[in-house]
Amino acid sequence: MPLRQRPDRRRAGIRVCVGACAVALGLLAGPGMAAPPPAMPAGHKNEGIPPAYRPMVVEPTGAPGRSEFDLNPALARAKRENRRLYVYLGADDCPYCRRYENFLRKNAGELVPHFKPWLVVDLRSSLSTLQSQLFFRVGQQSLVYAAFQRSINDERARMLVYPSVWLFDPQMKPLMPMPAGTGTFETVEEQLEILNLVQ
Amino acid sequence: MKLTPPMALRFHRRRRLVIGLGALPLVVSPTVRAAVGGLPSNTGHNDGSPEWDVLRSKLFGTRPIDATSGRVQLIIPLRAAYGASVPVKIVSNLAQTPELYVKRLHLLVDKNPSPLAATLELTPEVGQADFETRIRVDEYGHVRVISELSNGELHMSSRFVKTSGGCSAPPNRDSPELIGKTLFKLPGPPKIGQPTTVDLTVIHPNDTGFELNNVTVMYIPSYFVRTIEVSYAGRKVFDADLDFSISENPTWRFNFVPHAPGELRAEVVDSKEKHYSGALQIG
Repeated sequence: MPLRQRPDRRRAGIRVCVGACAVALGLLAGPGMAAPPPAMPAGHKNEGIPPAYRPMVVEPTGAPGRSEFDLNPALARAKRENRRLYVYLGADDCPYCRRYENFLRKNAGELVPHFKPWLVVDLRSSLSTLQSQLFFRVGQQSLVYAAFQRSINDERARMLVYPSVWLFDPQMKPLMPMPAGTGTFETVEEQLEILNLVQ
Repeated sequence: MKLTPPMALRFHRRRRLVIGLGALPLVVSPTVRAAVGGLPSNTGHNDGSPEWDVLRSKLFGTRPIDATSGRVQLIIPLRAAYGASVPVKIVSNLAQTPELYVKRLHLLVDKNPSPLAATLELTPEVGQADFETRIRVDEYGHVRVISELSNGELHMSSRFVKTSGGCSAPPNRDSPELIGKTLFKLPGPPKIGQPTTVDLTVIHPNDTGFELNNVTVMYIPSYFVRTIEVSYAGRKVFDADLDFSISENPTWRFNFVPHAPGELRAEVVDSKEKHYSGALQIG
């Protein structure tokens, strides 16, 4: 590979990576980053998943330093309504979360009908919540992020990425392995692939 | 281990190939058009790409490649959890016999900075030419495996994958003192006279040269495992010529046939010409 091409390729690679996901690590969010993520729009308002998708919003509970999302009410409702779970973990200060939410907002007309079999669960976190502080309660168990991911055989146990999406059946069985971030399904066609469980 | 002339030749050929690809003119091929949503239109699993056109010509010339025979199958998720660690499985629908066997497997990632991820030179000692590993995928594009049989036939299987950032993902190492440690693990008991599955892992950063050190804000120089030679009881099982498109801590699951008790051995050389080895006594 000609050396003169390397810097451009490298920057392009970094942009691809950063563009794909906002990793919840201070080092990636740090000021020294060669290609910072897009700035939060001025005066932005965190609305999470757009209301058109009728999301079930779950706010974290717990003492400082421990952010727990109780998935039990969502599971109970999914069972009651016989719907699959589309669990979205977003952060209020995460530009990539806003980007995905804006994508959903912009394409709601086309996408909302396809979300009907899904109960959208909007877990509202923050980039400052590290993976060691993030807990999920299912049944009587409260598991820290990595343990929760391991319990469902999810490869993403290694690194917490905002935003993240999980797909479950009403018994909370994962329906499909999912990528870190949402960058690979921010077109209508690709969002439909996800909803149709195309692997 | 010194590089033998054929292996050195392969390295030089690889470098020339990469240089050739780097010099690809930045033109939009008529086969790559923007589709609705900004996706390229050549996203069918069996589609070609400008990169593949160049690779195909350099690696195989005008030899016919059968992409429909089903002799080889590539199993890879459409979207992997991380671009830096995409699981790949190669399945050969052909028994490995001295009369006819898979002689060479080429694993390609069309849009990676160095697309030829691995070339495996196999012998009938593999027993069953199935391999599993993990690769880096830098952009949406095709991953391909080309199987070259001992009779000269070429067979291909390809998949379009929607993953990116694999070559610039932040490194994840935590034990630099273990670099070069070469480990074998048998998932099940060995089967004398039959293909036996084994996992081989080399602890190594396999740095691509495109990863940023977030402390120094400098790029980490490329540093990766270049070759692995696997033998059993002194007989070659397979040789692998590798690149940084293989993920950190390169791992290969493969088969070998233990005809009698013996030593399974791997000789590893990295891009700094450091040599490592690992062994496992069978029986």
